[in-house]
Amino acid sequence: MIGAALALARVKLVLELRRREVVFAMLLFVAATIVIVHFALRADEGAGPRAAAGMLWAAVVFTAVLGLLRAFAAEAEEGALDALLLAPVDRAAIWLGSALAQLGFLVVVELVAVPLWWLLFFQEGGPEPLPVIAALLLANIGIALVGTLAAGLALGARTRDVLLPVLVLPLAIPLVLAGVTATYGAFGEEGGGFGPLGPLGFLALYDLIFLALAWGTSEHLLGD
Amino acid sequence: MQPPAVTLEGCSKRFGERLALRKATLAVEPGETVVLLGPNGAGKSTLLRLAAGLLRPTAGHARIDGVDAVDAPRAMRAGMAYAGHRSQLYRGLTARENLALHARLHGRALDLDAALAAVGLADRADERIDGFSRGMLQRLALARATAHDPVLLLLDEPASGLDADGRALLDGALMDGHGRRTQLVASHDADLPARLGARAVRLDAGRLA
Repeated sequence: MIGAALALARVKLVLELRRREVVFAMLLFVAATIVIVHFALRADEGAGPRAAAGMLWAAVVFTAVLGLLRAFAAEAEEGALDALLLAPVDRAAIWLGSALAQLGFLVVVELVAVPLWWLLFFQEGGPEPLPVIAALLLANIGIALVGTLAAGLALGARTRDVLLPVLVLPLAIPLVLAGVTATYGAFGEEGGGFGPLGPLGFLALYDLIFLALAWGTSEHLLGD
Repeated sequence: MQPPAVTLEGCSKRFGERLALRKATLAVEPGETVVLLGPNGAGKSTLLRLAAGLLRPTAGHARIDGVDAVDAPRAMRAGMAYAGHRSQLYRGLTARENLALHARLHGRALDLDAALAAVGLADRADERIDGFSRGMLQRLALARATAHDPVLLLLDEPASGLDADGRALLDGALMDGHGRRTQLVASHDADLPARLGARAVRLDAGRLA
């Protein structure tokens, strides 16, 4: 099952390397968002850590949705999903392979977006990098798991381009709240909330819950 | 007693307002080849997708070896193949990469060169298939469907887009499988049943004749 998921993830990464259809659009979107908000907030005059943290996380989530809209595009082109559904592998492997690819796309996008955000919003100082990176990695996993599950759900719908954000964005709200809190806390400010787990513990718990949920339901979601 | 390889019992399928298949009942015995004939829109593709377990019937049952087709376990899926109107391949991969993925998902070490040579694509093996013609895609889809030597082969108008050589290859593959595996083939070629020595079943406006 893991082997099949890795094989599918590899296929999607190879396709992206050859066609550059998803990551390039995501990069343009996230960079444009960060630059526009930077000038709108006059960040060089001090936008404040909470505004900067919120801006980063809003950009990450909306950019992720852009990628998720293409999560099963390669399978839709020539009906490859039929071949995957009939292959003698656990159908969770189809979802997991796509989720791993989405995770890879997000990491690549953030390798550009986070330094740009840092450069534009914090000429001096800035947050502690490690908690921000940890929060981004944990949130990326959650977004990829939930988003790919939602993309699978929306697959057969005529209005999937509208349906997918409607499904994903409410589910991503807890991730954004925890991410903003972790990022704000990395400035040495009191973020508040999330109890004894803290925002990073909450993000890890979110990932575990949705990993189990998606694993258990993907067999039924991806079929007829 | 061994159940039929494919069974449809009063199978109907509705897409919104349209009833694509009406109470179809059909049994295909193990090793038998059945050719589904009928005009466009008769319900041939719907019947094949129900038999493959890719669609759930609105009413009735579709079974493979006596097991509900939608719930066919992995071991059963390992022995079947379905090729539809679309090639079911990844357009950004090469022909060889597509077959390698198929082999990987089936957990089989397949001779990819032999599989590609069998459909006349040996010299195009390392080309990305987004430059392939419809006929070449059909050939590769046939290679994908037969490479793991399935015991149940479901083909939906496999000759569409094929040239004369391609049709000869297809006939050869179907004749090779005749009696050795169960084959259910949708076709517009009224002569195909006679050429294969197969049973012909006619489908019209969603009804089996």
